[in-house]
Amino acid sequence: MEIKETLDCKGLSCPMPMMKLAKAIKGLSSGEVLEMLGTDPGTKSDLPKWCEKTGNTIVEEGEVESGVFRFLIQKK
Amino acid sequence: MADQQKEPGILRELFNTFFAKHWPVWVGGVTLGLLNILLFTVKSPWGASGGINNWGENIFKLFGISAFENAAPTSTSLYGVLCLVLILGSFAGALFSKEFALRIPPKGELLKGFIGGALMAIGATLGLGCTIGSFFSGVPALSGGAIIFTIGLFAGTILALKYLLWEMEKWPGMSSGKSFTFFAASKGKGNWQIWLGWIVSIGTFILAYKVAGTNGVLAWFIISGLLMGLICQRSRFCIVKAFRDPFMTGESDGSVGVMAGLLITLIGFTAIKFFGIGAGETSIRAREMTWVFSQFWLRGLIGGFIFGLGMTVAGGCAVGTLWRVGEGQVKLWMAALGFLLISPISKHYIVPPIVDMLPHTMKFKNYLPDYFGYAGAVLIVLLIILVWYVFVKWNERTGKFSAF
Repeated sequence: MEIKETLDCKGLSCPMPMMKLAKAIKGLSSGEVLEMLGTDPGTKSDLPKWCEKTGNTIVEEGEVESGVFRFLIQKK
Repeated sequence: MADQQKEPGILRELFNTFFAKHWPVWVGGVTLGLLNILLFTVKSPWGASGGINNWGENIFKLFGISAFENAAPTSTSLYGVLCLVLILGSFAGALFSKEFALRIPPKGELLKGFIGGALMAIGATLGLGCTIGSFFSGVPALSGGAIIFTIGLFAGTILALKYLLWEMEKWPGMSSGKSFTFFAASKGKGNWQIWLGWIVSIGTFILAYKVAGTNGVLAWFIISGLLMGLICQRSRFCIVKAFRDPFMTGESDGSVGVMAGLLITLIGFTAIKFFGIGAGETSIRAREMTWVFSQFWLRGLIGGFIFGLGMTVAGGCAVGTLWRVGEGQVKLWMAALGFLLISPISKHYIVPPIVDMLPHTMKFKNYLPDYFGYAGAVLIVLLIILVWYVFVKWNERTGKFSAF
């Protein structure tokens, strides 16, 4: 799967990760994939809820190192 | 035998129920509302800015600044202690769920934290309260000033959100750059966090037990504060989120969670005030006027507005800042620092000349039942919550007021 863009939100707390994510997704075309890295625990529950609402898909979710999570999100 | 083998599994399941996933925000709202009623029953409702101000005054006292030599030591200040144990509760919640880590953001974010905290301090000292004292507790306390403070909060939040969106477009360097994470756990490692969580929780319970003999009210505040911090961390209860998200991503969960808490608190507080429960030696009137501050209307409006700006830039209101401090978010450490350093200065030097200029009609205690009776006052608060609910749900569906 080709990753179109990587969004680094490490160290950022609410609301910056979700704001940056919404903006970054806006800049992609349908079907393109965004990689997001972050450390704010809040994002882990905000992001799936937001994807459910907006119709974007989480194609992968995991941890790259201790405390740093990674989401791959495909634009609707 | 079979039962004995199963037992650890069941306990782990119970532990996971609380600490494997975040709780729905409404669960946080309802349980925080119940604890708030408990605090009012034993003494007075939940508040946060007064406690943080107490810390600041004690720091200035330590440096020998004479204006603060009469500051109450934090160990004897109910709210000073409540705020401290709230951080411990959130620390324990984060440890139990292995979510604790020192998260150091880019420099621009640290600066925003400090400025946000300073603005919150000015707003809280001018408007007499924060999102807890003059909103989450103040509105159910049927204070007209709290409703005005809340209107100011909304306006400040919306304006600061516009700034954040502008900043992200025009000045992305503020929120990007080098960041660091320390002490983080992951699935397979970092079990020390769970053990430390037990030590922190049990230690706080022992502290409450020790003070219970001499100061029962303080013991209740310690236990409640610990639980409140833990609940806030697990449910990510955040009043900035409740006000901001409908205008940002359009989400309504945070707002509905806060509304659930307001409803529960409204029932409890109204009963306490109406029947004068826990009045003790004070008059029923004094009980009624508890958490009704002389902020109606302009004082509350301006204070709420400045507080709203600050909490949105910082990314946490007074309590949202405290529980994120416990979770290890260093941006909010800066917000707490800005708050506690600026609050005493604002209270003693900035606010008094401004307040002196305002006529009494712009800074008096407005108790809604004095004007509308208890039924009318409760109805007004219910109506406000209903309108807010309909707005956030409609907006979530249509996205009319959302930035994205």
